[in-house]
Amino acid sequence: MGETLQNWELLSFYIMMGAYLASTVLYWLWMAVKKDLISNLAALAAIIGLTANTAAIVLRWIVLQRPPLTNGYEFILVFCWGIVISYILVRFRYRIEALGSFVMPVPFLLLGFIVLKMGPAERAAGFLQPALKSQWLTIHVLSAMLAYGAFAVALGLGIMYLLKARSTESMAKGGKETWISRFPQESALDELAYKLVGFGFPMLTLCIVTGAIWANYAWGSYWSWDPKETWSLITWFIYAAYLHARLMYGWKGKRAAWMAILGFAAVLFTFFGVNYLIAGLHSYA
Amino acid sequence: MLALLCTNLVVCNVQRFKKTYKLTFGLKPPRENSHIPQKINTTISGDNAEALQQKTEKTLKKKGFYITQTEEGGQWRFIAQKRALGNWGSFITHIAFVILLLGALIGSLAGFKGYLLTGQGSVVSLQEITVHKGQVKENLAVKINSVEDRILPSRERDNWYTDLSILESGQEVLRDTISVNHPLTYKGITFYQFTYIPGAAFTIEMNGEKHPVTLQIGGGNYYIVPGTSLYLVLAAIDSEAQPPVVLYQVFDHFQEVKRGKLALGQSDNIQDIYTITFDEPAPFTGLHVKADPGVGVVWLGCGLLMLGLLLTFYWRPVRIAGILDTDGEPVLTIGAYSGKYKMGMKEEFDQIVAELRD
Repeated sequence: MGETLQNWELLSFYIMMGAYLASTVLYWLWMAVKKDLISNLAALAAIIGLTANTAAIVLRWIVLQRPPLTNGYEFILVFCWGIVISYILVRFRYRIEALGSFVMPVPFLLLGFIVLKMGPAERAAGFLQPALKSQWLTIHVLSAMLAYGAFAVALGLGIMYLLKARSTESMAKGGKETWISRFPQESALDELAYKLVGFGFPMLTLCIVTGAIWANYAWGSYWSWDPKETWSLITWFIYAAYLHARLMYGWKGKRAAWMAILGFAAVLFTFFGVNYLIAGLHSYA
Repeated sequence: MLALLCTNLVVCNVQRFKKTYKLTFGLKPPRENSHIPQKINTTISGDNAEALQQKTEKTLKKKGFYITQTEEGGQWRFIAQKRALGNWGSFITHIAFVILLLGALIGSLAGFKGYLLTGQGSVVSLQEITVHKGQVKENLAVKINSVEDRILPSRERDNWYTDLSILESGQEVLRDTISVNHPLTYKGITFYQFTYIPGAAFTIEMNGEKHPVTLQIGGGNYYIVPGTSLYLVLAAIDSEAQPPVVLYQVFDHFQEVKRGKLALGQSDNIQDIYTITFDEPAPFTGLHVKADPGVGVVWLGCGLLMLGLLLTFYWRPVRIAGILDTDGEPVLTIGAYSGKYKMGMKEEFDQIVAELRD
C-alpha cells in the first residue's frame, strides 16, 4: 500500500513538473502569437499542474500520516503549491493572462532544483526530530507558503510593470507597439502587486510570530538570531519598507516594482541560501 | 537604534491618533460638491428626491455602512463608512511594535537564560547552572529523577523525556515529566527539554576507596584519577543489549593506553592503579532554564501586531460621501475615498452606483 502510494506520488511529481513546464512554454508562445486558445491551454496546464501538486502533497501526507512539511523537498512542494494557487486566483479574478509568463517559470525552476540537486535520500520521508513534533509546524509553514506564493505573483507583476513602463516610454518616443503593449495598464499592475504584498505581509508576520511561539516552547527562546530567523526578518523589513514607502511617501511604479523584486530575492535567499549555505537551527528545513 | 525607532513610532502614533480618531468617530458630511472625492465620483439623477435619498440610505445600510447625514439649504449631505475599525490598523501595528520591543527589553533586563547538562539521579542548584544571560536569583534546585530516549516501534524517536523534581529548601515542591515542546514552569522559571546524551555510571575503586563516576558518551566529560594523568572516557554504550554494554578508553596525555568493553556489573583493572565497574546506564539530560518576565508582553505585542495588520490589509475601511440637491431636478453627486487602493475601491463603488441606478 505504502509503496503504491509512493509510486503515485512520484508520478504526480513528474506530471506536475511537466504541466508547469508546459504552462510556462505555452505562455511564452502566447506572447508571440497572441492566440487566446494558447493562453487558455497554458492556464489549463497550470491547473493540471496544481492538481498534480495537490495530489503529491496529499499522497505524501497519507504515507507519512502527518503534514509533509519537514524537509526541503516537502517545503518546495508546498512552496510551488502556494505560488500556483496564488497565480491561478489572480489569473481568473483579474484576467491577466501575461502574468503566467513571469510566474509559472518560478515553480518549474523550483522543481528543477529538486531534480538536479536533491538525491533520493534528501527526498525520502524521514523521521521527525522531537522539536518538529508540534502543532505549530503546520500553521508556521503554511502561512510562510501563502506569503511566498503571494510575493512570487507580486514579483511577476513587478517585472511586468517594469517592461510595460519601458515599452510605454519607448512608444512615447515613437517606438513600435510590441507584445508588451498587451499588458494591462501600469496602474493596474502596480495596484495589484500592492494588493498581493498586502495579503502576503500579514501572512509572513503570522509565520514569524507562530515560529517565535513554537521556538519558545521547543528551545526556550522566541528569538535566537538563527540565520533563517534573521533572513525572514530581513524579508519582513523589505516588505514593510515597501508598504511604508508606498503609504507614507507615495512610492509607486518603478520603485515599488523593484522593491517587489528585491523582496522576492530575499524570500529565495531565506528559503535556499540559508538552508544550503548557512548552518543553523533550521538546517533541516 | 531601537530606542530611536520606538521614539519615532510613538511620536508618529501620537500625530496619527487625532486623525484616526476623527476618521472613525468624527466624520462630517461634505459641505459642498468640491469636497466630495473626485477620483472616484459620479452623479445620479432621479425623478423624486425623497425616493433617491431613501434608496441611497437603504443601499448603503444594506452593505454595512454607517451613515452620518445633514439636511441643509435644500441639500441632503452624507458621509457613510463601513469597516471603521480598519482605520486603527496602522495605529495598532505601530503600538504593537513598541510593546514587542518593550517585552524583549523587560526579558533582557529582568530575566535570565541558562542551561544544565546533567545525569540521571543528580541534583543541581540553579545557582550552579551555566548562565549566558542575566543572573539567577531564585534559590531552587532541580533533581533529575529519570531520563528517557523513547523510541517508537517504528524506530522513530518519540521524544526525550525527563522526569524532574523542583526542590525548594531541599523539599520537593513540584514533580513533572517534560519533553521537547512540553516545558515546565514554576514561579516564573521554565525548564525546557533541549537534548539527551547517553551515559553510564561507574564505580572507580582505588586504594580501597570507591568513587561513583557518571560519564557521557563521545568524550562529553571525563574522569581523571586523582594523583595520576590518566583520564577515563566513555566511548560508546549499547543500552538495548542484554545486558547493556559499554566501551571505555583510558588516555595518558592524549595517548590511548587502554580500551575495553564491560557488560553490566563487570569490572576491569586499569594499569594496576584502579578498577572500574560498570554499574548502570545513566543518560544525561540537557535542559534550558529560563526566566523571562517580558514574554507575556512580547506575546501581547505579537497579538496586537497581527490584529493591526489584519485590520490594515484585510479590513480596509470604505468611505463614501455625497450631496443630493433636492431643489429642482434631484441630482446625487457621490464619490468614494480611494486612499492607496483605487482599483478595489472603484469596484465596490461601481456596485453601489449600479444598485442606485437600478
